[in-house]
This record gives sequence, structure tokens and C-alpha cells, in this order.
Amino acid sequence: MAEARATSRWWPIALIACVLALATLAEGPKALSVARGVVRQPGFAELPAAAGWSLLRMTASYVLSLAFAWIVGYQAATNPRAARVILPLLDVGQSVPVLGFFPAAIFLFVTLLGGGRWGIEMASIFLLFTSQSWNLAFGVYEGLSTIPLETRAAAESLGVRGLLLWRSLLLPACIPTLIYNSILSWANGWYFLIASEIIVAGPVEYPLPGLGSMMSRAFAAGNLRLATGAIVALMVIVLVMEFALWRPLRAWSQRFRYDSQSPEAREEARFSLPDLGLPALIRPLRGLARAVWRRLPTRRANEWLTRGGAGARSLGRALRWPALAAAVLIAILGVVAVVRALRPPWPPEAASVPLALLFSFLRINAAYVLALLWTIPVTLWASDHPRGARALSLVAQVGASLPATAFFPVLVALLVDRFGGMEMISVALALTGMQWYLLFNLLAGAQRVPNDLRESLRSLGLTRGAIHRRLTLPACMPSLVTGSIVAWGGTWNALILSEYVAYRGKVYEVLGVGALLNRATFKTGNRTLLFLSLAALVITVVAFNRLVWDRLFRHVSARYRLEG
Amino acid sequence: MLELRHVYKSFADRGRAMPVLDDVDVQIPDGQFVCLVGPSGSGKSTLLRIMMGLTPPTSGTVLYQGQAVTGVNLRAAMVFQSFALLPWLTVQANVELGLRARELPDDAAKRRAAYYLDKVGLDGFEEAYPSELSGGMKQRAGLARALAVEPDLLFMDEPFAGLDALTSANLREEVLTLWADHALPVHTVVMVTHIIEEAVLMADRVLVLAQHPGRIAADVPITLERPRNKRDQGFDGLVDSIFEKIV
Repeated sequence: MAEARATSRWWPIALIACVLALATLAEGPKALSVARGVVRQPGFAELPAAAGWSLLRMTASYVLSLAFAWIVGYQAATNPRAARVILPLLDVGQSVPVLGFFPAAIFLFVTLLGGGRWGIEMASIFLLFTSQSWNLAFGVYEGLSTIPLETRAAAESLGVRGLLLWRSLLLPACIPTLIYNSILSWANGWYFLIASEIIVAGPVEYPLPGLGSMMSRAFAAGNLRLATGAIVALMVIVLVMEFALWRPLRAWSQRFRYDSQSPEAREEARFSLPDLGLPALIRPLRGLARAVWRRLPTRRANEWLTRGGAGARSLGRALRWPALAAAVLIAILGVVAVVRALRPPWPPEAASVPLALLFSFLRINAAYVLALLWTIPVTLWASDHPRGARALSLVAQVGASLPATAFFPVLVALLVDRFGGMEMISVALALTGMQWYLLFNLLAGAQRVPNDLRESLRSLGLTRGAIHRRLTLPACMPSLVTGSIVAWGGTWNALILSEYVAYRGKVYEVLGVGALLNRATFKTGNRTLLFLSLAALVITVVAFNRLVWDRLFRHVSARYRLEG
Repeated sequence: MLELRHVYKSFADRGRAMPVLDDVDVQIPDGQFVCLVGPSGSGKSTLLRIMMGLTPPTSGTVLYQGQAVTGVNLRAAMVFQSFALLPWLTVQANVELGLRARELPDDAAKRRAAYYLDKVGLDGFEEAYPSELSGGMKQRAGLARALAVEPDLLFMDEPFAGLDALTSANLREEVLTLWADHALPVHTVVMVTHIIEEAVLMADRVLVLAQHPGRIAADVPITLERPRNKRDQGFDGLVDSIFEKIV
């Protein structure tokens, strides 16, 4: 994903800020159109239904994300001019936490659509979508742009076009990155489920039946048993999906890598679990897919595609000036909206935004340092113990697939009012989300060190410690930075969960941007504060990515790449 | 006849137009084996892609049998240096790809793919994946894929450059045999190479490209009798004279 950041344009931040401001100014609904009694205080009896609803919502949002990712990623990969706009926008979108999309969700689905049950459902799916879609789009972009030029030319020279091109080249080329990113997207979606199933508009709450809302309401009521029950259900779903779906798919996706023959790829395949029942699972599906494909009116579909594409292009040409005018109009409205959002009187909390930002920053870095402190030594140890490495990478894979919310009850029950209380909880929650990505990436990096190189150093008489210092650590640098970008950026998004916990009728919070966002959304409903803290957060994350991580990544991957 | 008239090509490089080909005029009659040689950066591959219709020229026209070529020429096929096989398809499916694009019925496509796989000596490897093949076998599959669409014109972009010396010598012989085979529809071949010996060994005619920007510097007919051998009289002289034209 980091490689995808090709340009460094700043204007999308302004654009996003404007759009967000527009959305924050949109009025919430005046009257309640949903009976609040739809969801009673939840109990164990509702658990299976809640799990079913959550799974349905996640699936819907994932399917939408896939469609979005394909369209946007394809545009970015095939049209360099579009890429210059799309890639920074995806980047910004990725760094806006789910609470930032609340106003937009409420405006679109509650104010405009009336806010019946379906409106609220759509709002919830939209919120999940905002946590799932961005990296999928990056995945499609990456997959398509790594197709070797000659392979692309070969398909073209054979006259392969349209649907056949998509099926034989474009889709397969994207499968490895698409599956990898699907796993990330689902993990992200589960993580933010807790924030996406209770739609809040000012003083009004619309809880939907689901595991996320059950968890947060059980917490708020202090019902730890029910909260644990919901979390166990969530973990069961996550683990079943991991073993029955993602693991076989990941093994299968190795076929679609250009370097599938390299020893590393084989090594990697060896390090994952055997693909349980994979052939039996996929074979009938493949037969079905082939049968369906044969019955498709391919020729007519291709004609439609060509005509549709030409139509879209000429429409685009015809609408260029109106579109430009509309963009200018929106930009002006955006500026007006920003000015209005920033118009005094500011809420008293506004003054605390800079300090909150600083504290959040320190907290995240504390978690990051803690994570490094244990993952690096463990990785070095694992580099000398292949068996240990294998076990650890399983642990990391499973750990990364568990949403950090799973650790809520333990941490809260243990630490509330003790050992520094909420400050500790907040750092620990950030750590739980962060450490697995780091460990996962570090282990992958260590595995990539060729054995020849290690043995050559051993034969030169270097000690184990010297080999770690001279070979293993430098070789891990690129994957460390890649993991850090994902983990560090993701943790900013997770602040909204880790800095503000409602437990047993009481709110525990620390001074931080995440807590401010929660307050603005759930307590005061103050949109100026929401806008201010959101803008501060997004600008910090994007600026830090551009100024620190991107440069570090470029430096590190140029300096520490292991050739052949 | 394949005809290029006043073909120019330039690429945009950081906003500036970098000329790659400058006023290229070529006529290739049917049945000829033509080699394009030249230093790297002389636009050999670009010229080949323009002939194939993969890249449009910046200006100028490409005519095939008197018709302007706009877009991929479906009467032609191409073989690539990197083999460019799809790693997720079997050898058989790779060869069938162009036939599927031409909407041949399943069984006809299967039969035709089998026929050409046999022609290039790959029978028995239909169900193998490209990653299971050696370089030479991959290029045989690439060749079968190109021949299977039964093109009139065959373009080859440094087809032997990725292979070891022995394999490339073998494959060279086989390409010449296939070209001479009257049962096959392909009679006109345009091949890019940077090895002058290879060009003299195979071609009826060698086009020498000069660089910065690419243009035709010399058009050398090779009239040595076939089958040729590096020890033939006059072989070295031809190689030397072409070499001088490049430098």
C-alpha cells in the first residue's frame, strides 16, 4: 500500500475538509421516526440474531466495498490523470475515523431518506463501508499496476478484450492483493462494528440489533457477562472465517502470483496451515463458475461494454464544463461551510484540541514503542528457531484477525480505577491493535532473509548477535516500516475506541482527540468541535505519513533491499 | 505487404516529447523474414509494437494489405522476450486464449491448440502450468500461442534473449523449420534481435536502426543459401559490415 503513494499533493486534504464541513453542517433530523423501543435492553436470547444481523451488514458492506474498489482501483491503474486525484483521496479517506463519517451518514440516510429501519441500516452499512473500502481499492490498484507490460501486450496482441480480458488477466492479477486486503478489511470492519451499529444524531440514538451495539450497550450497563458473550460470539465468527475461508483462499491465491515459483513463495506457503478441505470446497464452485461463464452472452456483453464505455467517455466530454462548474461551486460552498463551522462561539473544549492532539500522539507512540520492544526481540529469536517462527506467525495471523475490542472486558475489568486507570487502558488498547501487524510483518521480513546469506556470515565466524545486527535487523527494515505505516495509521482511527469507554453507567475518558470526537458525537452533539478535532486528526495523520513514513519507506526500501 | 509510411513516434517524458522513431519508411512483402537490429534505445521494440498495432504511431500510417492498421492487427501475432504467459492458466489454456478471443467453439479451440502444441514439441505438457516449464519450453508455449491464431504475420521481440545458448540455438532452428513449413499459414516474420549473427543466420533482410532518434540506417539483403551456418563463406563479412553500420 505504501508503494501506491505516488504523488504528494496536499489539496485533497482541503477538499475533504470542505466536504466534511458540509456534512457536519447538514442538519440532523428534527423528529424521531424510529420507535426507540425497537431494541430492548439486550439479553443472551438475542445473541444469535445479533450475530446474524452483524454478519449480514458486514457482508453487504464488503460487497459494496468490492464494487467500489474495483471501479476506483481500475480507474487509478489505467488512467494516470485519475490516479493523481484518486490515490491521495483514498489516502485521506483511510485516515478519517469512522466517527468522522457520522454526520454524512446521518445526513444521507436519516435526514434525506427519512430514517426508517432501512435508512438506519443503510447508514450503518455505509459506516462499515468507510472502514473497509479504501485499502481494497489500493489492493486492486496495486494488483493491476503490477501486471508486467509484456503480459498486458501479449493479451492485447491476441485480441483479448472486454470480459475475456477481465477474466483471464485483470481479475487473476488482482487476486493476491485483493484477498490480502479483504482480510484486512474484514478485520477493520469487525473492529469498528462497535461504533457502527449505534447511529447517533444529536440527542437521538438509533441502536440496531447486532453484536457491536450489544457489546457497547452491555458495557455501558455494566453487564460484563453479556459483553463477554457477545465478544465470544464475535471471536467464534472471526476464527471460523479465518480457518474456513481466508486461510484456504490465501493458499489458493498463491497461484496467481507472478513469482509463484520462487522459493520464498513456497516457503511462505509452508508456513501457513494446510489448506483444510480447500480442493473439495473450490472444485464445485469452479465447475459452477465455468458453466455460468459459458452461458453468458459474452459477445453481447462486450458490445454493451464498448458502447457503454464510449458513451461514458462522450458524456464525460460533454459534461466537462458543467462538472468543472459544479466542482467550483462545491468548493465555494465548502469554504463557506468551513468558515461557518469555525465561526465563534467555539465550544469551551475547542481550546483543548491542540493539547488533546499532543496527548494522543504521545499515547500512540508509547504504544508503538512498547510494541517494538517486544516484537523485535521475539523476531530475532524466531529467526534462529524456524519452528518457533512458524508457531509465532500463526499466533500473529490469528491475533491480527481478532478485533482489539475482544480485549475490552479483560482490560477494563482489570484496570479501571487501578494502576493509572484509563490512561493505562488507553495505551493497552492501542497496543492490542498495533502489535500483531508489527509482529506479522517483522516475521515475514525475517523469513525473507536468504539462508545462503546467513550461512555465509556464520562461516565467516560472526556470532549470533552480530548476525542479528548486521543481517537480520537491516533485512527486516522494509517490512518493519510497511507494518508500522499500517499499524500506526490504524491506531489513530482506533483512538475513538481506546480513549473513551462507557462502562457501568459511567464514562471513562482521557484527554485526547479520540475522546473529543466521541464527546462531540455522543454527548454534546457539537459539530464545530467534531469538525475541529476531525480536521486536526486527519491533517496530523496525513502530514505524518507524507513527511515521515513515506520518506522513511523510500529510504529504507532503497537501502535495505535484498537483491535476488 | 506490410507498409509503414513516415512513421514518427515520441513519448512524453516529464512534459517533454522524447522522439523515439523518426520518419520510418518500410515495406515488407509477404513471405519475407525480416530482422530488426540496432543498439538498445533505437526503438526496435517500439517499431515492432507499431507494426502489430499495439501502439499507435504519433504520426504516419501503417498499412497491411493496403488497409490502414488502427488497433491490434488480428491477422498478426506476437512472441515476447519474457514469454508473457499467464501464470494461472495451463499451457493448453494459454494457447487457447487467442482462440477464445476469436470465439472459436470449445472443441475446435482444443483441437487447434493441441495441433500447435504438438508442432512446437510440447505434446504431453498441455496440463502443466508455465511455472513448471523450463525457459525454452515456456517460449515454445509462447510460440504455439502465437501460431494457434494462424496469423499471416508473426512478430517476435527478442524471442531467444532469455534462453541459454544451446536452447536458443535449437529453438532458432525450429522457428526456421516452422517458417518454411508450407502447411502453416505464417510466412512473413519480423523479428527484433540485438545479436547480429542471429539476424544473418535467419533473415532474408536485415534492417539496421540507428539511435536517438531511431531511424532506418541501412537495409541489408541476406542472400546466403539456406540452411545457413556460421562457417558459411561470406557470413563473417556480412556480420562485420552490419556491425560497422550500427557503430
